[in-house]
Amino acid sequence: MAAGKRFTAVNLNLLEALELSRKPAADGAHPLRSFLACGFTPLHLQTFLGAHLREFFPEARIEIKTGLYGDLAGSLERLNASGLDALVAAVEWSDLDSRLGIRSLGGWQVSAFPEIISSARAQLSRLERALIAAAHSLPVVVSLPTLPLPPLFYTPSYLGSVEKAELFSSLANLALTLSRERGIRVLDSQALELAAPLNSRYDIKSEILTGFPYKLPYTSTFARMLASLLSNRAPKKGLITDLDDTVWAGILGEVGVDGINWTLEHHSQVHGLYQQFLSSLASAGVLIGVASKNDPALVQEAFARKDLLLNKESVFPFEVHWKAKSESVQRILKLWNIGPEAVVFVDDSPMEVAEVQAAFPQMECLVFKKDDYQAVWDTLVALRDSFGKASISTEDSLRLESLRNAAPLLDAFGQSGSASDDFLKRADSLISFGSAKLDKDARALELVNKTNQFNLNGVRFTESDWSRMLSDPSSFVVVASYRDKYGPLGKIAVITGKVLEKRLHLNAWVMSCRAFSRRIEHHCLKYLFEKFSADEIVFDFQTTPRNGPLQDFFVELLASPPQPGLTISRTSFFAKLPPLFHNVEEKENG
Amino acid sequence: MAELDDRLVRCFASVFPALPPDQIRTASVESLPEWDSLATVTLIAVLEQEFDIQIDLLGSPELTSFEAVQNYVRARVEQN
Repeated sequence: MAAGKRFTAVNLNLLEALELSRKPAADGAHPLRSFLACGFTPLHLQTFLGAHLREFFPEARIEIKTGLYGDLAGSLERLNASGLDALVAAVEWSDLDSRLGIRSLGGWQVSAFPEIISSARAQLSRLERALIAAAHSLPVVVSLPTLPLPPLFYTPSYLGSVEKAELFSSLANLALTLSRERGIRVLDSQALELAAPLNSRYDIKSEILTGFPYKLPYTSTFARMLASLLSNRAPKKGLITDLDDTVWAGILGEVGVDGINWTLEHHSQVHGLYQQFLSSLASAGVLIGVASKNDPALVQEAFARKDLLLNKESVFPFEVHWKAKSESVQRILKLWNIGPEAVVFVDDSPMEVAEVQAAFPQMECLVFKKDDYQAVWDTLVALRDSFGKASISTEDSLRLESLRNAAPLLDAFGQSGSASDDFLKRADSLISFGSAKLDKDARALELVNKTNQFNLNGVRFTESDWSRMLSDPSSFVVVASYRDKYGPLGKIAVITGKVLEKRLHLNAWVMSCRAFSRRIEHHCLKYLFEKFSADEIVFDFQTTPRNGPLQDFFVELLASPPQPGLTISRTSFFAKLPPLFHNVEEKENG
Repeated sequence: MAELDDRLVRCFASVFPALPPDQIRTASVESLPEWDSLATVTLIAVLEQEFDIQIDLLGSPELTSFEAVQNYVRARVEQN
């Protein structure tokens, strides 16, 4: 679905929004306390934001506080972040200078313009400082003016002017500064324009009569985009693509390696765009796999072509044979060790797409409509939305290499899934343990919130919960990184908990699936027992639909299925500890 | 008409969530402390969307009870 439609297709009317936002939360729901900062009357924006937050956070009890009318900068400067989980700031022109709105009559004479521009700049500086300060303790979502400027300047509306350019330039500078801040997400104005054109937003009657400036359908779209930014949903991890008439134009087996094409002169530019797009995804850490019914030798030859925009090093694995696509997909998922819901499958054949979709109902399966240029464009935009992330981490650049390196390991592990002592001894491995509390590591939270299989209880943390835990002196957050002779895996495990004398209480423990079968989990517990001189560890364990690998680990260790409140004593742990061959280092931070 | 009334009741329930269902049809500005100017703005916006009508906020001082709103909306819907 195209980006704009994604937000308008689920528009609510005000009645639905009121009902949804006022629907009682489930018993025991954790609160999501947001502050909506705007200079206008928040009115229906507060309602729609509450409703869309319910949609994105169905388990939470949504609370929205608001600031003072007409004083956005002041509301932000006075903001007390304690007791809040998020800040949403909706900036409009009148927040920069009231003369840029229509509810004050401060004068639009030409002589006033220099002063209006200079006061707008000063106000933008105040907003910048306040938003950056808030972002130190809260996730912050910001939208910059979304409404048309009133007709105050002397040029016709369709003619640019120095004054308008100065205002937009100051806004662009603010957007740049805020975008560089890790805790701030700025709403993209082009995405908003696609979802709600400028002329569909402003309700002048409502602004004059009630102080609320937006039309209701626009309010829903706008609120949904703000809520979506706040939700910070996990991006998909892998894309499996067909080759013939998808990555390139032509059937390789019929036209040969030199006959396939993807350029303007061959009228097959959309395939070149798709290659370029896949290469871009790969460079951002997305896994790209190939599932193609083809001759493997020919495919190898095709990928040797120097003009191909997707190089073979960016792809792993290649499943090239004549068997069903769903079999290829199954094997790729196993190698990647991720679930179908984190993967997108793309093929030009509706039949192949249907076959894979039937086998993996949770997977997003898309037809590459090579003859419909608009559809290809919409597909690329939708894929970018599915795989997009706020920033690229070191682990993103390591992921593909570590999976490729893990392939021989999988062979070595065989069917049992566990490695021999001999193999591990020769792996020349190093585990680095450190604390995420010192560098407020964003990767640690990301790992906790997206790991399903080796996960103690499936509990997810909001950014503000995480910040609070990092600042709590009684808690610890241990992060483990791993490397061996097959390559680095980066940060792969996170453990959080509290120390109560000789007893550790772990409330979260996750480990990336890329790190399985190396006894890293054993070493994590050994490290904890030794680091904290603990006599026992109490695990806040809960069964989840997907934490089977963690349960298997405990079964192996305890010889019985784990239960909530699980406790392991130092004596029993060390009695069952298998040989460990890792080198270990301790770093100050994670 | 019954269907219109049910929709009106739903609109009132959404704007005044604390109002017991059996008191909606007798609600008025006098009997309902929550029915302030903000609630009026919200109620009118809900009614406009729900019944696809335009209501003049300034020219509608008479919309101060469920019954008044009911009569007003019925008349406007019939006009359309």
